[in-house]
Order: sequence, then structure tokens, then C-alpha cells
Amino acid sequence: MSDQATHMTSDQTVLLRLSGLATSALTTAVLVAVLIFMPFLLGGSWTFTLGLCFANSIGVLAVSLLVRYGGEVSIGHTFFTALGAYSVGVLDTRYGISLWASVPLALLLGVTFGILFAWPSRNLHGIYLAVTTLALALAVPEMINNFDALTGGYEGLYVATPFIPGIDMGLQRYYVALFMLVIVCLAVVRLRLSRQGMALLLAKTHPAAADAFGTRRVWARISIMGISGGIGALCGATLALSGSTVSPGGFTFWQAIFLLVGSVVSFYGLSLPRVLIGGAFVTLVPQLLSASGAWIPVFYGLALLGMILLGHYMPRIRKAMARKSEVT
Amino acid sequence: MSFWDSLLYDLFPLIWSGMITGCLYALGALGLVMIFKCSKVVNFSHGNVAGLTAFLVYGLSSGMLMSLSWGAAVLVALVAAVAIAFLIYSIISPLVFESDLTSTIATLGFGLIAQGVTLLIFGADIVALDLPIPRFAFSVLGLLITGYDLTVLAVAVVTIGALFIIIDYTKLGIAFRAISENPFAAEVCGLNLRSVHYFAWITASILGVVGALLIVPTTFLSVTTVATFMLQAFAAAVIGGFASLPGALVGGVLIGVLMNLFTFYVSPEYSSTFLLAVILVALNIFPNGILQKVGGSRV
Repeated sequence: MSDQATHMTSDQTVLLRLSGLATSALTTAVLVAVLIFMPFLLGGSWTFTLGLCFANSIGVLAVSLLVRYGGEVSIGHTFFTALGAYSVGVLDTRYGISLWASVPLALLLGVTFGILFAWPSRNLHGIYLAVTTLALALAVPEMINNFDALTGGYEGLYVATPFIPGIDMGLQRYYVALFMLVIVCLAVVRLRLSRQGMALLLAKTHPAAADAFGTRRVWARISIMGISGGIGALCGATLALSGSTVSPGGFTFWQAIFLLVGSVVSFYGLSLPRVLIGGAFVTLVPQLLSASGAWIPVFYGLALLGMILLGHYMPRIRKAMARKSEVT
Repeated sequence: MSFWDSLLYDLFPLIWSGMITGCLYALGALGLVMIFKCSKVVNFSHGNVAGLTAFLVYGLSSGMLMSLSWGAAVLVALVAAVAIAFLIYSIISPLVFESDLTSTIATLGFGLIAQGVTLLIFGADIVALDLPIPRFAFSVLGLLITGYDLTVLAVAVVTIGALFIIIDYTKLGIAFRAISENPFAAEVCGLNLRSVHYFAWITASILGVVGALLIVPTTFLSVTTVATFMLQAFAAAVIGGFASLPGALVGGVLIGVLMNLFTFYVSPEYSSTFLLAVILVALNIFPNGILQKVGGSRV
């Protein structure tokens, strides 16, 4: 009997959690439905831009995931996006291998390199990872330009092989990006509900408790960097397809900072709507400000500071307001 | 014979000039370490703010904004650097006590703004900024020593010496050490954390300006020059352990020599990649800095 009772309560908590998820799942589903119909309403250039938005959203998600689950900051996620984009680009243009094979390979490479870069700083404070990723971001364009036999140097590569043969490329660039984004978001929700995800969160928030349960902090740190690197590489692979060209200009130090800014602007959210806000910010702002290039860093800097200060002062203001309304 | 020749004519001069630029990396790294030691913030805006002030010296002395004498321009730039450091710390100080990660990201924001402002005022062109440095050269044991080398050495020795004297003997320095040792105990003893943080940020900013102005004659001045210079400073700080002032000094000189040897013997095109490799190796072999005794560490 007692056994059954515990089952009941756990079922109830699951139900409660599901009902909470249901509302957010509903908004996400509506959003996805709207996005599916977008290409029928908008012109080709907007469809193209939205495809890029989806791709960048995946990158923003990768950075946010690292912050949320690992408490780490990465200023060098362009390394992973470049890795993903070039593995798709190189396999496509040099060997004619389809995306079906190159996208999983990109994911694998991203995970491997994520682990590789987290390893030296596994026992250290998070700033070491931040500085390492800073150096990484600065080294990326250099590496791409110097391996020009493979990467095409400054000129870049043109990705033209379709994902599914016979469908209009413009639409494919949009829908594949959307599909990838939705899949990644679903995977992150699965991670949150899984035992592994819980263990990772525990290792971040209560390291001592995690140690007591046998979750090693080093393992948590390295695995979250691996996951984030893999998602970063998926972002790159999607960018290569929906942007159709892969060139060093897309993976500069600036781009790395912009991804971080996008993640801060979405308040490190991991849900589809939040991530879309970050991705749209990263994609649209440079387009809007393209005529006055020098304003781009200023704008991004102000946005970054503004969001951080908002995150700091908002709860206080809200609390003060609540107290005031209680008094009156 | 030819081996010795190459050693004499290439290696020793390379090490010497590497040590000279290394002193400047050390100035940058010392600033980063000072800020990190007491406020636990990695100041990513360090390089861009120093770059902005170097451009300010150029603008004020070349007639682009004004034509002041060089000394007056430097003075204005130093005042500007102090004011910027004061402003930045004032804005992020509520965050510093909340989360070091958030405040570290906030400094990236300031770095972006500083770089954007530099672009807006001075444009993206590369300019040459000359310093009034005595132009002479003599050779000792085959080493060509120039007036620039001696000036850099003298300025670095005086600045770093003054810094260490301040930290070792003055009240402010003792407070700085107390806070970097144990902020809670220091606060209980009645020390004002914020005023010491201001001291660290302002000193770091001045060190950054000195380093940036002295590095400029070896390269040209552009928006990214000083930022790349600061990457070397970051690498130096990592090698030194990020929380050790003498470590930053040793790390700076080491990075200067290593970079010089690498660019001469291997390739100048992979310098950032090489720095990345140095950082990764240093983190693996000396996780607590090169000056830290091995063993006895608890994780």
C-alpha cells in the first residue's frame, strides 16, 4: 500500500510539472506553427534572414546552456560554429558528401573539441575557461585563413547541395534551420528532465551535495562543455546551409562576443521563444546598423550592460513596488 | 661556427627584444591581476580602454583634436583613464558583490563601447604615434640596445617598483592585500571594500595606459592593436596564475620572449593560435601559476 501511495504523489508532481510545461509547450507549439507558415507570407529576403535567425538562435542556446548548466562563460563559441560550418562546407564542396553525413560529424567534432578545451581548466575557476575561449575566438580567423587549401581562405566556400533533393533551395534553407532549432530545443527540454541534467544542475548549484551523491564536478564541467560545443557546431552546420556561404568573416572575434550578447539579451533562456529573441538580436542588429558600422559595438555594449543592470535592478524594483502596494 | 653565429645574431637579440616587450605585457597583466585579486572580476575592457587613451594621446598631440604638447596630451589621457576606470567601477560595483561572472560579462560591454567610441572618433585607419624618446643606439656584446629599449626598461622598472612599494608599505596597499587575502575578515575589521576596489581599478587603468603608449612605437596604432596587445597580457596573467603580481611579471617577460622566438623561427601568421596553445599548456602544467609551489594543493 505504502508503495502505491508514493507512486501517487510522484505521479501528482509529474502532473503538476506537466501542466506547467503544457502552457509553455502550447506557446511554443503556436510559435512553431506561425513560423511554419511564415515563408508563405513574407518575401524571399525575409525568409533568408529568418533562416539565419534560427541558425544563430542555436548558437545563442549553446552559450546560454553553458551558463545555465555550467556557470561558465564562453567568449569563443565561434570556434565551434566555425568547426560545424567548415565541416559541412568542406565535405560538401570538396567531397560532395551530403548533409545527412556531415551534420552528425559536425556534432561529433564539436563535442570532442568542447571536451578538449574544458580539460585544461577542469579544476580551476571559471575565468580560466573564459580567457581560454577568448584566445580561441581570436585564433579562429587566423586558422581558417592559413588552412586555405582546405577552407578556401578569405573567399570561403559555397554550400549548394540540398538536404532533401528536389525541393526549392530557398525554402529548404528556411525549414531545415527551423527543424534543427526545434530539435535542439526539444533535446534541451529532455536534458532538463533527465537524470543527467539534474546531476549537472546539482553539480553547479550545490557542489558539495553533488560530491556526496557521487557526481564529480570535473565530469559535470567537461560534459557540459562537450554538450555546448556540440550544439555550437550544429549552429555552424545550420549557418552553412541557410547562409549558403562559409567564410572567415562569419567567425570573427566580434561574432563570438555577439553570441554572448545574444545569450544575455535572452536572459540565458533555454526555451524556444527566448532563444529566438537572442538569435534575432544577433542577426538583425548588424543588418539594421550596417550603414554605420562603428555604432554596432557601441549598441551591443549598451545592450549588454542594459540587460545586466536590468537583471540586477528589476527584482529589487519589483519587490519595492510589491511592498508599496501592500502598504496602501 | 654558423650555429654560433646564428645564436649570436638571432637568438640573443630576439630574447633581448622579447624581454623589452615582455615588460610591457607585464604592465598590462599586472593591471588585470590587481583587479582580479581584490574584486574577482576579469576586466575584459582593459585593452580597449587603454587603446582609447592611446588614441586620445594621438588625437591631442597630432592636431586631429587639438595640438597640445606631448606631455600635456599624456596628462589628459591619464586623467581620462582614471575617470573611465572610476566610471566603469561605479556602474558595475553593485554587480561585483553579487556575481563575479556577471560583472565580468559587464566589462565586456564596456570594452565594446570603448572600441566603438574609438572607431567613431578616430575611424578605422592605422596611425603612427611617435614618442619623444631619445634616439641613440649602442652595442654591448653584440646586442644592439636602443634608446627605446632603455626607456621601456626604465619606465617599467620605475612603475612596477612604485607599485610594489605602494602595495608593501602604504596603508592602501596593506588594505589591498588584506582584501585580496580575505574580503570578509577585512570588512569586519572596518576596511571599505569599495575604496580599495577603486584604488585597484584606477591603478590598473594607469598601468594599461603606460603599457599601451610604450608598445605603440613597435607597431602602428589601430583599433585592434592594443586589444591584441592585451591578449598577450591575458596569457601572461594566466601563466602567472591570475592572482599573483610577481607571477604576472614573470609571465609577461616569458610571453614576450616566447612570442618573439615563435614569430621569428616558426611563423608570424599563427601568433594568436600559438598564444592559445601556450595558455592551454600553461593551464595543464601550472594550474596555479608558474611561481606556485607544486603539491599540497587542495581542490
